[in-house]
Amino acid sequence: MTPDQNMSTKFRAALRNELAIWIQKGFVTDEAAKQLSSAYELDNLRHESTRLLSAVIFTIGGLLLGGGLISFVAANWELIPTPIKLALLFSALLGLHTAGFWLWHSKNWRRLGHALIFTGCLVFGANIGLIAQIFHISSNWYGGFGAWALGSLVMAWAVRSWIIGVLALATSFIWFIGFQSDHAQSPTAYPLILGIAVLPLAWIIRSRVLYAGTLLVIMVAACVLAGYHGSAAQLLFTMAAAGTFMWTLGELHRTSEQRMEFANITGGLGLGLLAFAAYVWSFHSLWSQFKFGPIRSWWAFVFFSLSIACSLLMWGRARQTQRLLTAGVLLAGGILCANSLLSAAAANESNGEFLFTLTTNMAALILAAIIIGVGLVDERRLAFWLGSLYLVLLVLSRFLEYETSLLVKSAAFLACGVTVIIAGISYENYLRRKARGIESGTGGSGHE
Amino acid sequence: MSKRASLVAFIVAVIIQILILVAVPARKVFTRVTGKTVVLKVQPVDPYSILSGYYATLGFDISRVDAFQNARAMLQEYSEGDWVYAIVEQGDDGTWKPISLERELPANLPHNRAALLGRINRGAIRYGIEEFYIPEAQRVRIADDLSRNVDKARVDVKVDSAGHAALERLRIEDRVYE
Repeated sequence: MTPDQNMSTKFRAALRNELAIWIQKGFVTDEAAKQLSSAYELDNLRHESTRLLSAVIFTIGGLLLGGGLISFVAANWELIPTPIKLALLFSALLGLHTAGFWLWHSKNWRRLGHALIFTGCLVFGANIGLIAQIFHISSNWYGGFGAWALGSLVMAWAVRSWIIGVLALATSFIWFIGFQSDHAQSPTAYPLILGIAVLPLAWIIRSRVLYAGTLLVIMVAACVLAGYHGSAAQLLFTMAAAGTFMWTLGELHRTSEQRMEFANITGGLGLGLLAFAAYVWSFHSLWSQFKFGPIRSWWAFVFFSLSIACSLLMWGRARQTQRLLTAGVLLAGGILCANSLLSAAAANESNGEFLFTLTTNMAALILAAIIIGVGLVDERRLAFWLGSLYLVLLVLSRFLEYETSLLVKSAAFLACGVTVIIAGISYENYLRRKARGIESGTGGSGHE
Repeated sequence: MSKRASLVAFIVAVIIQILILVAVPARKVFTRVTGKTVVLKVQPVDPYSILSGYYATLGFDISRVDAFQNARAMLQEYSEGDWVYAIVEQGDDGTWKPISLERELPANLPHNRAALLGRINRGAIRYGIEEFYIPEAQRVRIADDLSRNVDKARVDVKVDSAGHAALERLRIEDRVYE
């Protein structure tokens, strides 16, 4: 199996179905079909689905058995001498890991083995807490999560597991929040460490969840670092730069055709982060009430530079629609970044509030148009509806924010409702026309 | 990865997890094995914050900076998060009393004195012995006993040569909780 071969059950099941049609239509020869079937282990699919059912049943059974044993031990925990307590904790850990690895590699029960090793990593975390209790260790509560994250990360790499990687990610983020709130000195290298330690794993095992989750935690951690000891402007700058970077990274995946499966989720998260930042800062009161101190977060500058680099790399190979959408994201992100920098520069002056509010609302409108545009270009219903709702939310927020008569408010609500219904009907008709066009062979892909 | 490489990586990961688990109590175990026993009197604690989850929060004489003779001079010198050595001396009643605060670990302390390493935290000193785990079955009983008889409560603490402290047991009159 080459590292880039997609061996997911979903893909292989689809390939098996398509292969039968391809042979029938003469697209592939019987020989080529046999080679594909062999390379993608299509004959094993039926056994795998049976194994999946067995894995689910065994996992549920194992969890119930484990729960029963834990309850029994917990009921008698205080009566058990410390050495036996420790022996039980280590045995549980070793037993789960060993059984999991044996089933995975010797019996080819991949899912059940994986589930047991994951459970072993959960037990590892519980053991840290129980050992701390046995020895009355009074320390920072988040220290245990740091140790848990380290142990889980090593195991995630060893068995190439996305779910154990997610566990390491979650526990490390809890450690980060605890450390951040307890120390004057921020762990500024945390996003970098995650980038080095987790992103390559997600790349190798082609896990969208782990990849997008790691990027999201990196961005959120950078925003926490910016907002905790910094100013509102610093937070906005970081959010805007991070969101723009994630969008351009997603587009780079698409144009370079490297891990294309990461493109939608990465770009979508970036767009979501940008839209969230633009909505929050679209309120005038935020610009008028908060002090916008100097910008000291270097993460925002890193993301900003990476956004430019990704844009330059993807631009040459991008299609017209991709360029248009990316230009829109860069414009909206650029407006938000410029506003945060200018507001920080004019920290003691109050004459820019109106301009900042106006341009931020413009950025939010551009983002709404881009989200709707993604829905149209890629034919993604969710994007279209989210973009429409975001637009409605912006309009209604402005009407509720400013003093207007009830009649005007009522007109705004009615107009929004009618617009959403008309837009929805038009979109569904558009999708039907496209589908008919494809069936009759006159339509093209949404990207073209 | 080949099967052999997978096995090696897996074994390394399990060993690292075990080493982490061993490292968690290593300092406390070392202190318990090599340390000198110091008995500290438990100070009244806020009855509403005695229990925090499955832990009882304990306070001692030596938790207060002003309990030490050189507190005033030291307060000007120390700031939040600083490490200090609290020198305690065994009293006639068997409990150990606060004497002075030092920046460095004193050499050649007499047998009836000990140095505990602590950290300034929100105006108090914390030694890592302030939380006592209470088993669920005894949770209400111990909390009730502690709040009623806090003036009779003592803790046995082991203190090693570097000043690290490890909580061993809580005693209230003849009742021992470990």
